[in-house]
Amino acid sequence: MPVEMSSRRSSRITDEEISELISKLQSLLPESRRRSMSRASAAKLLKETCSYIKSLHREVGDLSDRLSDLMSTMDSGSPQAEIIRSILRS
Amino acid sequence: MQVTEAFKHAFLKQMLLGFQASAVSTKSMGFQERKNAIKLSADVAMAVARGSRKWTRGLIAGLSEERQNRSFLRLILGEQYESLLKPCHSSWKIPRCKKIVRRSLRVCWRKQKKNQSGVLARTLVEKRTQELKRLVPGGESMDGSSLLDETLDYVLSLRAQVDLMQSLLTTFEASKLRSHSKRRLPERKASYVSK
Repeated sequence: MPVEMSSRRSSRITDEEISELISKLQSLLPESRRRSMSRASAAKLLKETCSYIKSLHREVGDLSDRLSDLMSTMDSGSPQAEIIRSILRS
Repeated sequence: MQVTEAFKHAFLKQMLLGFQASAVSTKSMGFQERKNAIKLSADVAMAVARGSRKWTRGLIAGLSEERQNRSFLRLILGEQYESLLKPCHSSWKIPRCKKIVRRSLRVCWRKQKKNQSGVLARTLVEKRTQELKRLVPGGESMDGSSLLDETLDYVLSLRAQVDLMQSLLTTFEASKLRSHSKRRLPERKASYVSK
Protein backbone atom coordinates (compact mmCIF):
# COMPACT_ATOMS: atom_id res chain seq x y z
CA MET A 1 0.00 0.00 0.00
CA PRO A 2 1.66 3.24 -1.13
CA VAL A 3 2.54 5.71 1.56
CA GLU A 4 0.38 8.80 1.24
CA MET A 5 2.99 11.47 0.55
CA SER A 6 0.34 13.81 -0.87
CA SER A 7 -1.25 14.39 2.51
CA ARG A 8 1.89 16.17 3.67
CA ARG A 9 1.60 18.67 0.82
CA SER A 10 -2.17 19.11 1.19
CA SER A 11 -2.01 19.62 4.97
CA ARG A 12 -1.68 23.36 4.18
CA ILE A 13 -5.11 25.00 4.09
CA THR A 14 -6.08 26.72 0.81
CA ASP A 15 -7.82 30.08 0.62
CA GLU A 16 -11.21 28.66 -0.41
CA GLU A 17 -11.03 26.22 2.47
CA ILE A 18 -10.38 29.12 4.79
CA SER A 19 -13.50 31.03 3.73
CA GLU A 20 -15.61 27.86 3.94
CA LEU A 21 -14.15 27.26 7.37
CA ILE A 22 -15.06 30.78 8.47
CA SER A 23 -18.73 30.52 7.54
CA LYS A 24 -19.29 26.98 8.73
CA LEU A 25 -17.44 27.22 12.02
CA GLN A 26 -19.00 30.58 12.79
CA SER A 27 -22.46 29.06 12.62
CA LEU A 28 -21.33 26.30 14.92
CA LEU A 29 -20.07 28.40 17.80
CA PRO A 30 -22.51 29.43 20.51
CA GLU A 31 -24.03 32.94 20.31
CA SER A 32 -21.96 34.37 23.14
CA ARG A 33 -18.67 33.66 21.41
CA ARG A 34 -19.93 34.85 18.02
CA ARG A 35 -20.93 38.31 19.20
CA SER A 36 -17.40 39.38 20.09
CA MET A 37 -16.06 38.47 16.64
CA SER A 38 -17.61 40.96 14.20
CA ARG A 39 -14.73 40.72 11.70
CA ALA A 40 -13.71 37.14 12.21
CA SER A 41 -10.35 36.21 10.83
CA ALA A 42 -9.58 32.60 10.11
CA ALA A 43 -6.98 32.51 12.86
CA LYS A 44 -9.38 33.93 15.45
CA LEU A 45 -12.07 31.51 14.40
CA LEU A 46 -9.72 28.56 14.64
CA LYS A 47 -8.67 29.74 18.09
CA GLU A 48 -12.30 30.01 19.20
CA THR A 49 -13.03 26.54 17.86
CA CYS A 50 -10.05 25.12 19.73
CA SER A 51 -11.09 26.70 23.02
CA TYR A 52 -14.70 25.59 22.47
CA ILE A 53 -13.58 22.00 21.97
CA LYS A 54 -11.46 22.22 25.11
CA SER A 55 -14.39 23.54 27.13
CA LEU A 56 -16.59 20.68 25.87
CA HIS A 57 -13.88 18.22 26.94
CA ARG A 58 -13.87 19.80 30.41
CA GLU A 59 -17.66 19.49 30.63
CA VAL A 60 -17.50 15.79 29.78
CA GLY A 61 -14.89 15.32 32.50
CA ASP A 62 -17.02 17.18 35.03
CA LEU A 63 -20.14 15.16 34.12
CA SER A 64 -18.12 11.96 34.46
CA ASP A 65 -17.17 13.06 37.99
CA ARG A 66 -20.79 13.66 38.93
CA LEU A 67 -22.02 10.42 37.39
CA SER A 68 -19.25 8.65 39.27
CA ASP A 69 -20.55 10.03 42.57
CA LEU A 70 -24.07 8.85 41.78
CA MET A 71 -23.03 5.40 40.56
CA SER A 72 -21.04 4.77 43.72
CA THR A 73 -24.20 4.83 45.83
CA MET A 74 -26.28 2.78 43.45
CA ASP A 75 -27.38 -0.77 44.19
CA SER A 76 -29.44 -3.15 42.09
CA GLY A 77 -32.66 -2.22 43.90
CA SER A 78 -32.28 1.55 43.42
CA PRO A 79 -34.42 3.56 40.97
CA GLN A 80 -31.28 4.46 38.97
CA ALA A 81 -30.65 0.79 38.37
CA GLU A 82 -34.25 0.41 37.19
CA ILE A 83 -33.83 3.32 34.76
CA ILE A 84 -30.69 1.69 33.39
CA ARG A 85 -32.44 -1.64 32.96
CA SER A 86 -35.40 -0.08 31.14
CA ILE A 87 -33.14 1.80 28.69
CA LEU A 88 -31.18 -1.37 27.99
CA ARG A 89 -34.37 -3.32 27.39
CA SER A 90 -35.61 -0.83 24.76
CA MET B 1 -24.65 15.80 11.00
CA GLN B 2 -28.03 15.57 12.68
CA VAL B 3 -28.47 14.53 16.28
CA THR B 4 -31.34 12.14 15.67
CA GLU B 5 -33.42 10.18 18.17
CA ALA B 6 -31.66 7.08 16.86
CA PHE B 7 -28.28 8.61 17.70
CA LYS B 8 -29.40 9.59 21.21
CA HIS B 9 -30.81 6.14 21.86
CA ALA B 10 -27.73 4.38 20.51
CA PHE B 11 -25.48 6.60 22.62
CA LEU B 12 -27.37 6.06 25.88
CA LYS B 13 -27.70 2.34 25.37
CA GLN B 14 -24.05 1.92 24.42
CA MET B 15 -22.86 4.01 27.36
CA LEU B 16 -24.97 2.04 29.85
CA LEU B 17 -23.71 -1.24 28.39
CA GLY B 18 -20.25 0.13 28.96
CA PHE B 19 -21.11 0.93 32.59
CA GLN B 20 -22.26 -2.65 33.06
CA ALA B 21 -19.18 -4.09 31.35
CA SER B 22 -16.86 -2.16 33.62
CA ALA B 23 -19.11 -2.73 36.68
CA VAL B 24 -19.12 0.94 37.67
CA SER B 25 -21.59 0.43 40.50
CA THR B 26 -19.17 -1.81 42.37
CA LYS B 27 -18.78 -0.29 45.80
CA SER B 28 -15.16 -1.28 46.13
CA MET B 29 -14.06 0.69 43.04
CA GLY B 30 -11.89 3.74 43.64
CA PHE B 31 -13.16 7.18 42.55
CA GLN B 32 -10.58 7.75 39.80
CA GLU B 33 -11.04 4.25 38.40
CA ARG B 34 -14.82 4.66 38.32
CA LYS B 35 -14.57 8.10 36.72
CA ASN B 36 -12.20 6.81 34.03
CA ALA B 37 -14.48 3.88 33.29
CA ILE B 38 -17.46 6.23 32.93
CA LYS B 39 -15.58 8.59 30.62
CA LEU B 40 -14.31 5.66 28.55
CA SER B 41 -17.86 4.31 28.18
CA ALA B 42 -19.10 7.76 27.16
CA ASP B 43 -16.39 8.21 24.51
CA VAL B 44 -16.86 4.76 23.02
CA ALA B 45 -20.63 5.29 23.01
CA MET B 46 -20.18 8.56 21.11
CA ALA B 47 -17.99 6.88 18.48
CA VAL B 48 -20.30 3.89 18.09
CA ALA B 49 -23.46 6.01 17.87
CA ARG B 50 -21.86 8.22 15.23
CA GLY B 51 -20.60 5.37 13.07
CA SER B 52 -17.57 5.26 10.84
CA ARG B 53 -15.86 8.63 10.45
CA LYS B 54 -12.21 9.66 10.43
CA TRP B 55 -12.54 11.11 13.91
CA THR B 56 -14.38 8.10 15.37
CA ARG B 57 -11.67 5.76 14.09
CA GLY B 58 -9.07 8.18 15.42
CA LEU B 59 -10.82 8.21 18.81
CA ILE B 60 -10.91 4.41 19.11
CA ALA B 61 -7.30 4.17 17.93
CA GLY B 62 -6.26 6.76 20.51
CA LEU B 63 -8.10 4.99 23.34
CA SER B 64 -6.55 1.73 22.21
CA GLU B 65 -3.06 3.10 22.71
CA GLU B 66 -3.53 2.74 26.45
CA ARG B 67 -3.13 -0.90 27.40
CA GLN B 68 -5.68 -0.83 30.23
CA ASN B 69 -8.45 0.12 27.77
CA ARG B 70 -7.93 -2.71 25.31
CA SER B 71 -9.84 -5.54 27.00
CA PHE B 72 -12.82 -3.23 27.56
CA LEU B 73 -12.73 -2.10 23.91
CA ARG B 74 -12.53 -5.67 22.65
CA LEU B 75 -15.41 -6.70 24.91
CA ILE B 76 -17.65 -3.77 24.07
CA LEU B 77 -16.91 -3.51 20.34
CA GLY B 78 -16.45 -7.18 19.47
CA GLU B 79 -15.70 -7.66 15.77
CA GLN B 80 -16.06 -3.93 15.16
CA TYR B 81 -12.88 -3.34 17.19
CA GLU B 82 -10.60 -5.03 14.67
CA SER B 83 -12.21 -3.34 11.67
CA LEU B 84 -12.15 0.08 13.35
CA LEU B 85 -8.40 -0.21 13.84
CA LYS B 86 -7.63 -1.54 10.36
CA PRO B 87 -7.02 1.56 8.15
CA CYS B 88 -3.57 2.24 9.59
CA HIS B 89 -2.99 5.41 7.58
CA SER B 90 -5.69 7.09 9.66
CA SER B 91 -3.46 6.94 12.69
CA TRP B 92 -0.29 7.79 10.75
CA LYS B 93 1.10 10.88 12.40
CA ILE B 94 3.32 13.36 10.61
CA PRO B 95 5.86 14.23 13.30
CA ARG B 96 8.30 15.87 10.89
CA CYS B 97 5.64 18.30 9.71
CA LYS B 98 5.47 19.78 13.21
CA LYS B 99 9.22 20.45 13.21
CA ILE B 100 9.03 22.08 9.80
CA VAL B 101 6.15 24.28 10.92
CA ARG B 102 7.93 25.24 14.14
CA ARG B 103 11.12 26.09 12.22
CA SER B 104 9.25 28.20 9.68
CA LEU B 105 7.35 29.92 12.52
CA ARG B 106 10.67 30.93 14.13
CA VAL B 107 12.00 32.21 10.80
CA CYS B 108 8.82 34.19 10.20
CA TRP B 109 8.91 35.82 13.64
CA ARG B 110 12.53 36.82 13.11
CA LYS B 111 11.69 38.41 9.74
CA GLN B 112 8.85 40.49 11.23
CA LYS B 113 8.60 43.95 9.65
CA LYS B 114 5.60 46.34 9.54
CA ASN B 115 4.28 45.05 6.23
CA GLN B 116 4.52 41.37 7.10
CA SER B 117 0.87 41.17 8.25
CA GLY B 118 -0.05 38.78 5.41
CA VAL B 119 2.71 36.40 6.39
CA LEU B 120 1.76 36.73 10.07
CA ALA B 121 -1.88 35.93 9.39
CA ARG B 122 -0.99 32.86 7.34
CA THR B 123 1.47 31.67 9.96
CA LEU B 124 -1.09 32.13 12.71
CA VAL B 125 -3.62 30.10 10.73
CA GLU B 126 -1.03 27.33 10.36
CA LYS B 127 -0.30 27.41 14.08
CA ARG B 128 -4.00 27.27 15.04
CA THR B 129 -4.59 24.54 12.51
CA GLN B 130 -1.91 22.43 14.17
CA GLU B 131 -3.63 22.95 17.51
CA LEU B 132 -6.99 21.95 16.05
CA LYS B 133 -5.39 18.85 14.57
CA ARG B 134 -4.26 17.82 18.03
CA LEU B 135 -7.76 18.35 19.47
CA VAL B 136 -9.75 16.47 16.85
CA PRO B 137 -9.14 12.69 17.15
CA GLY B 138 -7.15 11.43 14.17
CA GLY B 139 -6.58 15.04 13.13
CA GLU B 140 -2.81 14.70 12.77
CA SER B 141 -3.12 12.86 9.48
CA MET B 142 -6.00 14.89 7.99
CA ASP B 143 -5.69 17.37 5.15
CA GLY B 144 -7.36 20.81 5.21
CA SER B 145 -10.79 19.91 3.87
CA SER B 146 -11.09 16.69 5.89
CA LEU B 147 -10.14 18.59 9.03
CA LEU B 148 -12.98 21.05 8.41
CA ASP B 149 -15.58 18.31 7.92
CA GLU B 150 -14.37 16.22 10.81
CA THR B 151 -14.18 19.22 13.16
CA LEU B 152 -17.80 20.17 12.50
CA ASP B 153 -18.96 16.60 12.94
CA TYR B 154 -16.86 16.09 16.06
CA VAL B 155 -18.09 19.28 17.74
CA LEU B 156 -21.74 18.38 17.08
CA SER B 157 -21.15 14.91 18.52
CA LEU B 158 -19.37 16.34 21.57
CA ARG B 159 -22.31 18.67 22.22
CA ALA B 160 -24.70 15.72 22.00
CA GLN B 161 -22.50 13.73 24.37
CA VAL B 162 -22.58 16.56 26.92
CA ASP B 163 -26.37 16.98 26.61
CA LEU B 164 -27.05 13.26 26.95
CA MET B 165 -24.77 12.78 29.93
CA GLN B 166 -26.42 15.80 31.56
CA SER B 167 -29.91 14.42 30.98
CA LEU B 168 -28.93 11.02 32.37
CA LEU B 169 -27.51 12.72 35.45
CA THR B 170 -30.68 14.78 35.88
CA THR B 171 -32.88 11.69 35.53
CA PHE B 172 -30.84 9.84 38.16
CA GLU B 173 -30.86 12.75 40.58
CA ALA B 174 -34.61 13.25 40.16
CA SER B 175 -35.35 9.57 40.77
CA LYS B 176 -33.16 9.62 43.85
CA LEU B 177 -35.07 12.60 45.30
CA ARG B 178 -38.40 10.96 44.50
CA SER B 179 -37.44 7.73 46.23
CA HIS B 180 -36.29 9.64 49.34
CA SER B 181 -39.54 11.59 49.63
CA LYS B 182 -41.61 8.43 49.11
CA ARG B 183 -39.86 6.75 52.02
CA ARG B 184 -40.74 9.59 54.40
CA LEU B 185 -44.54 9.65 53.76
CA PRO B 186 -45.61 6.46 55.62
CA GLU B 187 -43.97 7.76 58.83
CA ARG B 188 -45.90 11.03 58.68
CA LYS B 189 -49.16 9.16 58.16
CA ALA B 190 -48.55 6.97 61.19
CA SER B 191 -47.92 9.95 63.50
CA TYR B 192 -51.13 11.66 62.27
CA VAL B 193 -53.20 8.53 62.86
CA SER B 194 -51.88 8.04 66.37
CA LYS B 195 -52.95 11.60 67.30
